[in-house]
Amino acid sequence: MKNLYRPIESVIEDIKKETHNITTYRFRPKEPITFKAGQFVELTVPGVGEAPFTPSSNPNVHDTMEITIMRVGCVTEALEKLKVGDTVGIRGPYGNWYNMDDFDDKNIVIVGGGVGLAPLRSLILALFENVEKYKSISIRYGARTPMDIVYADVLPEWEKHPNVDVQLTIDEPYPGWQGTVGVVTVLLEDLPLLTTANVDDLPFTVENAVACVCGPPIMLKFVNMALLEKGFDPNQIYHSMERNMSCGLGKCGHCMMGEYYICKDGAVMTAAQVAKFEDPF
Amino acid sequence: MKEVFIGRENLLKLIGRWAKDHRVYVPVTFDIMNHPETPDYELVKEEVPASLELHGACPAQTPKSFLFYSREVVSKYPNSNPEAEVEAPPTVIVGPRACDLEGLRKFDKVYWSTKHFTEEYDDPFYIEKRENATIVSVDCTAAKETCFCTMVGGKPYIDADFDLNISPLENGYVITVGSEKGEKLMAGSDDLTSEVTGAHRDEQKRIRGSVTEAIERQNAQFKVDVPYDKHELGSDEEAWAYVTRDCVGCGACNRACPTCTCFLLWDQKADGGYERTRNWDTCLSIGYARTGGGGNSRANLPQRLENRIRCKLEYSRDRYKLVTCTGCGRCIDVCMGRIDMREAIKHVVTEMAKA
Repeated sequence: MKNLYRPIESVIEDIKKETHNITTYRFRPKEPITFKAGQFVELTVPGVGEAPFTPSSNPNVHDTMEITIMRVGCVTEALEKLKVGDTVGIRGPYGNWYNMDDFDDKNIVIVGGGVGLAPLRSLILALFENVEKYKSISIRYGARTPMDIVYADVLPEWEKHPNVDVQLTIDEPYPGWQGTVGVVTVLLEDLPLLTTANVDDLPFTVENAVACVCGPPIMLKFVNMALLEKGFDPNQIYHSMERNMSCGLGKCGHCMMGEYYICKDGAVMTAAQVAKFEDPF
Repeated sequence: MKEVFIGRENLLKLIGRWAKDHRVYVPVTFDIMNHPETPDYELVKEEVPASLELHGACPAQTPKSFLFYSREVVSKYPNSNPEAEVEAPPTVIVGPRACDLEGLRKFDKVYWSTKHFTEEYDDPFYIEKRENATIVSVDCTAAKETCFCTMVGGKPYIDADFDLNISPLENGYVITVGSEKGEKLMAGSDDLTSEVTGAHRDEQKRIRGSVTEAIERQNAQFKVDVPYDKHELGSDEEAWAYVTRDCVGCGACNRACPTCTCFLLWDQKADGGYERTRNWDTCLSIGYARTGGGGNSRANLPQRLENRIRCKLEYSRDRYKLVTCTGCGRCIDVCMGRIDMREAIKHVVTEMAKA
């Protein structure tokens, strides 16, 4: 029988520093690993251990995989010490994914906080492949300071796509920052005001909108509240739940939340699914 | 179902025959400083130990020890083998009680989904061991103070879904064949067995009845109005804090539990490369639910004990259609804080009724 716990050797092909503690790695697995936007993988640093990450590259690219990773614990610290050409292990993909067929003809709101934009990037890149299928894509991104913004170089490129608008905010005022200040929910205030040219024939209606949210738990909590208040259907708000997914197989129990295993029933879960929990985030 | 009677001498011989081509585990008694301990499993080597003990209540360990090792290498890398390398010799486990077989149903659902109609991944390490194991279950002939199987829909004996079952009587044993695997073990043993008489059946029935009654009697004080499979215990902080007051989070209950299936994956250096081990884990440890960056959805001990108890009664029922407290009472036996599952449930249910 196939061994579910086996890491597939993957070579680090490229390392790109995004911020002082966030880095994007490009891996080339020895056996191709194909994933759908929203799914995650278990990344092994040899001898150190495994941790779950959601790829941030286009899911339609199969032979390599990019993951944007923040240094937070022992696995990510050990990873930072590796160089191009070194080998890590990857297994997966695990968990569910964004059902993009459901997104056709809709206004898509993407809300990211901090390194939470990384998993959303794979969704964004997949959406961009058929961008004409969607009414609008509003990307709302909050970072702590201007120095914590990931993908700073490509964000302006994203906005060049038709019907796509990108807005940024930082948590606290910062010398030299001209843009919005405040937590990411402030950017949800002007969702209907798309800045793209043909905005007139693309009215934003909440009935026809889906939201995909990823960020630290406290952000999920407040974005969830804000979106519900705006009238979003709880079935149309997709959260990326943060739990300790260890085996990815719905067995080890670490990511358990009630009867759900986030590694199998998530990590993408709707606000409706988590509504019964007192404090799901 | 085929039934035979066997005396103690011949039973030892029969088990000895099994041991020729199986790894056989039997429960034996230990005397530690003249204090009789709960029987525990021993591997049968040349001779079947004379201290074999099938009477009484459940042995100290659950059969999960033989099918889901407390520590097992699940992968070696680099150059890892895509196929699982499982060590699973033919095994016979003599001694699991009804509560233990009930516990294995959870394991089957979690680790062997294609056979048990759940939507989980199949785990080669469990499946191969389970397939190669024959389980010889045993009726309880006495209840320990902490037994409460009848409170959670169980009973202290087995009458369906088993390989081979032994009902200990005063002067011998009734063996019932329940599966093909069981039949294979009994093949060629006619020289050791005799026919079951009406008196044997009466004695078996009498013991089963009296143990059931004893368990019901000793648990009358813990009775609650909610049926065992309808619990919705909620997160009343005060109630759970009270239940947890003597918990130190050691995780002994997890290890003693027949339905605790959770594990920790741990990588380490080995043989010039690395190996990944799978270890029994405890949901009571603070790091269990900790996420990168220090988040923790169950940072407090009461939240963790609540999660454990509700996992048994509610979450498994909702996910696997199975209440996974089997009433074996081992978590009470091993708890250094003497936390009693029955009292905990009663306390939370009573507090909820007040609110």
